[in-house]
Amino acid sequence: MKVAILDYGAGNLHSLAKALSRAGTNVAIETDAERALASDALILPGVGAFSLAAQSLAPYIVPIREALSTGFPCLGICLGMQLLFDISEEGEGEGIGIFSGRVRRLEGRRVPQIGWNDLEETQGELFEASDLRTAYFANSFVCEPSDLTSIRAWATHEGDRFVASVETQNVVGVQFHPEKSSTLGIAFIDAFLRRLKR
Amino acid sequence: MLSRRIVVCLDVAGGRVVKGVEFESLRDIGDPVELAMRYEAEGADEIVFLDISASHEKRATLLDVARRTAEGLFIPLTIGGGIRTVADVGNSLRAGADKVSINSAAVTNPDVLTESAERYGAQCVVASIDARREGEGWRVYTQGGRNKTNLEPISWAVECVNRGAGEILLTSIDRDGTRDGYDVELTRLVADAVPVPVVASGGAGSPSDIVEVLSAGHADAALVAGILHDGQVTVQEIKRQLEDAGLRARNVA
Repeated sequence: MKVAILDYGAGNLHSLAKALSRAGTNVAIETDAERALASDALILPGVGAFSLAAQSLAPYIVPIREALSTGFPCLGICLGMQLLFDISEEGEGEGIGIFSGRVRRLEGRRVPQIGWNDLEETQGELFEASDLRTAYFANSFVCEPSDLTSIRAWATHEGDRFVASVETQNVVGVQFHPEKSSTLGIAFIDAFLRRLKR
Repeated sequence: MLSRRIVVCLDVAGGRVVKGVEFESLRDIGDPVELAMRYEAEGADEIVFLDISASHEKRATLLDVARRTAEGLFIPLTIGGGIRTVADVGNSLRAGADKVSINSAAVTNPDVLTESAERYGAQCVVASIDARREGEGWRVYTQGGRNKTNLEPISWAVECVNRGAGEILLTSIDRDGTRDGYDVELTRLVADAVPVPVVASGGAGSPSDIVEVLSAGHADAALVAGILHDGQVTVQEIKRQLEDAGLRARNVA
């Protein structure tokens, strides 16, 4: 099995690559989204800014949308989750739009939210299999899906309750960083990979 | 609600974790990769590698250490020490750091904070501020405490955030290494002045010092080094005392 991390700029992809490859999965870091879609799953990592990432996705947005809406597996992490929505307050550009809705600024005195936050109302097999209840977040923006049935977890920063995870078909979005959430975060990634093998 | 974080700091020189004894001799205490992973297993929320190498050549080895650490560490890693340019920030992130802490260079060239935040996001830019008490107030020092600036830490922290820093690492030079407790007053003044998390550093002598700086000091996180490396206390014991004091902590057994 081979998964591809789409590299749309700078940042640390090492831990994510290592977390994915622990169970013997072949991991490629691709800048070309079409090559990424030739693998078994697309990983949208959580580093960078929305507009720059959207810019680098722009030439491939139609094939990516087509693949994800017909069952191609994808895990979007932090910014990667936000790219699965239509638009973002953070900056210009078009998201993939597999989830309809927008990305808004997190409210609160301390933004970005940096640290470990509790997950609320978790549901779905990835949370059940991993038992992940507290996860590492580093974000200033959050997603607002218009379809509430896609929501798999919530979290609250100061008074702002926001969506921590969404899922539709084989596409999973997480606002937290499972690759930075220690043992249980890695178990969450393993559960995602196990599902690919079925 | 966010948990209060216990951040474990490892001083690294020439690829090894060291401990300074009265600023003269450096004692080797182990391999940074092994120690970082051991502290993750004990429940640490984050790791900081602070490069105290004197020379540029030795600094290059830290990136190699970061690369090896990132392969097995699944909690956030911050790199600090000798970061001067946006290129240094980029190289550290590519090597496997999640955040980069900038100290002296932020004072001489504050644009490095702004450019790094624009390029990589505020969440990975940590402004590291070393402060010493002076009369009724405090003064910012750079170059590892050797160079006195004309800055005052509270307004300087606000300035760093305005310029792009997403977190403040605040070290009391007076308390550093003393185990007499954090400078709670300074920490509270800075934490109340900035809209980003503050990591308190310098002076941890016991879990109750950590409880105090996280409650009365309003810090989001506490940096801990010596008392853990010596085996005087464990991360689990610190977290148990946080919970007993009504502070939220992650992963308490």
